[in-house]
Amino acid sequence: MTGKAAALGREPGLGGLAIGAVLSVLVLVWVGSDGYRQTLVTAAATYALVALGMYVPYLMAGSLSMAYGAYAGIGGYAVGLLSTKTSLPLVLAWLLGPAAAALVAVLLGLVTRRLSGFFLAAVTLLFGMAFTAFLVDAESVSGGSGGLGNLRELNILGWTPSHYQVVVGSVVVVCVIAFLLDRARLSAWGVIVRTMRDAPRAVEASGVRVPVMNLVALALGAAIAAIGGGLFTYSAGSVTPDTFTLNIVFLAIFMPLIGGGGTPWGAVAGAAIAVELTLNFPAIETSGTLVLALGVLVILLIAPRGVIGYADQLRRRGWALSRRGRDG
Amino acid sequence: MAEDSLLHGRGLIKRYGGVTALDDVSFHLDAGEILGLVGPNGAGKTTLVDLISGAQAATAGELVLRGGKLSGPASRRARAGLGRTFQYPQLALELTVRDNLLLGRAARRHATIWRMAAGAVLGALRPHPPADREAVEALAGELGLDGLDRLAGDLTLGEQRLVEVGRALGQDPVVMLLDEPFAGSDAQGVLGIAEVIRTVQRRGHAVILVDHNVDLVADLVDRIMLLDRGRVVFDGDPRECLASPQMQVVYFGSPPEAEELDQETGQIGQEAQDVRS
Repeated sequence: MTGKAAALGREPGLGGLAIGAVLSVLVLVWVGSDGYRQTLVTAAATYALVALGMYVPYLMAGSLSMAYGAYAGIGGYAVGLLSTKTSLPLVLAWLLGPAAAALVAVLLGLVTRRLSGFFLAAVTLLFGMAFTAFLVDAESVSGGSGGLGNLRELNILGWTPSHYQVVVGSVVVVCVIAFLLDRARLSAWGVIVRTMRDAPRAVEASGVRVPVMNLVALALGAAIAAIGGGLFTYSAGSVTPDTFTLNIVFLAIFMPLIGGGGTPWGAVAGAAIAVELTLNFPAIETSGTLVLALGVLVILLIAPRGVIGYADQLRRRGWALSRRGRDG
Repeated sequence: MAEDSLLHGRGLIKRYGGVTALDDVSFHLDAGEILGLVGPNGAGKTTLVDLISGAQAATAGELVLRGGKLSGPASRRARAGLGRTFQYPQLALELTVRDNLLLGRAARRHATIWRMAAGAVLGALRPHPPADREAVEALAGELGLDGLDRLAGDLTLGEQRLVEVGRALGQDPVVMLLDEPFAGSDAQGVLGIAEVIRTVQRRGHAVILVDHNVDLVADLVDRIMLLDRGRVVFDGDPRECLASPQMQVVYFGSPPEAEELDQETGQIGQEAQDVRS
């Protein structure tokens, strides 16, 4: 794929962006002024950003950190704190939140640098739980279990975006980050990170310090998840310790697998499917997670490489059939 | 030992608990030289390569490359000028041959944490700089590697070894460490890899070549170092090594009989060698 794109002189990642942009426009048209649909899309964008954050260390570098609820929470509380405790421009929260989340990810990565697999997942899971407990206890900072509410509205040089514009902004941010990650995945940097998953000794022997690159991947992923947390908090108008629980992490693990295709767009597609199945599926209302579990099973049975992988397979088959038809 | 050599090691010891894998090993490698490292299983060949490359830490001893102390993790030593291949090829099997070759070239641009972070941004902005593309294709051409868009997991073992050599050459190393590059290859593959080793030498790289196949190594190298149970038992001319009593003891377990020794050189005679083989 990399080589072919290069050989054809095409800009890598543009195909994914084009499809993502078209689908996004269709979704935004479907949303319109419907408040419930706007909430659904904001939730999907948040899930997508958490899943995109996890994509970098988990699917590219092969390191399963489960602290992404905490990173999204840091982004969310950055918006909440800046809004309620300071008079600083609120837009700064999307700089400070991701920076703080990246710093925490680096510190946690340093502490857990000798762990991998199950033990890394277990320790980072504990960290996520401890973070939630901290938010409940640190009442003077976080507002305790009631969280932070009555948040200020964004004011960018006198312009305050409407709720629909925030939804559009969320979708645009998801598309831009997925596009940039896709290009980074195909670049030399991406080759190094992806080789770390299967052949870390080769990366080390080539001159890249694997534990340090792992920290960079963790920091990048945490920053992306924090952007999502900030968007969700702003859109909801409040944040509590229960806003970013472990649920979101478990869902985010499955999203790239459902979406598949080995690209960041798979995480985005997976997030859209997860939100549809858990929150908008016309079945028994309280059984969203059960529907998602069944949906994941069905999707992975029919399409082990995820929805995008399956669509790609169909496209290739159709292309081969049409060529055979032309030749015959 | 030549202190002014390109790479030298002095008093290298590696112990695993009570087991001594390398026992006071010293060696040197001159610029442009191919040094063969031979010995039976468990002799300590791969351990020595691991100590040099930094994959394992030595219990004692020191290494010097181009007059500077060689220490720290494998990544630092790679940047100092060491390239290596592995006994079992270490490739990203889900990536293409092109991407695996690119790793060697790209790694030098990601030496520090800031460069790694900047690499993500630059990669997103400009995924395929033409210089990278051209360098990888030139390297592949030199090694006779085609089908750069094939997945590394679809390659034969011999082809995977070639990709590893190419990846290491991409680093433009001063010294190449080739750990059993012929293992698992058929006759055709052995010839191909032997030709690649000659190419590596023609490019001016010094090479440490590790393998079981003593005859093959002797044909390719300038000097041989024979290891047995963690100690150097012979260091010198390849032909002399093949005919040496040490070789007989290491590989056949018994010293040559007096009548098998050449009266002038003290080494085992050709006739006796033929009988033993």
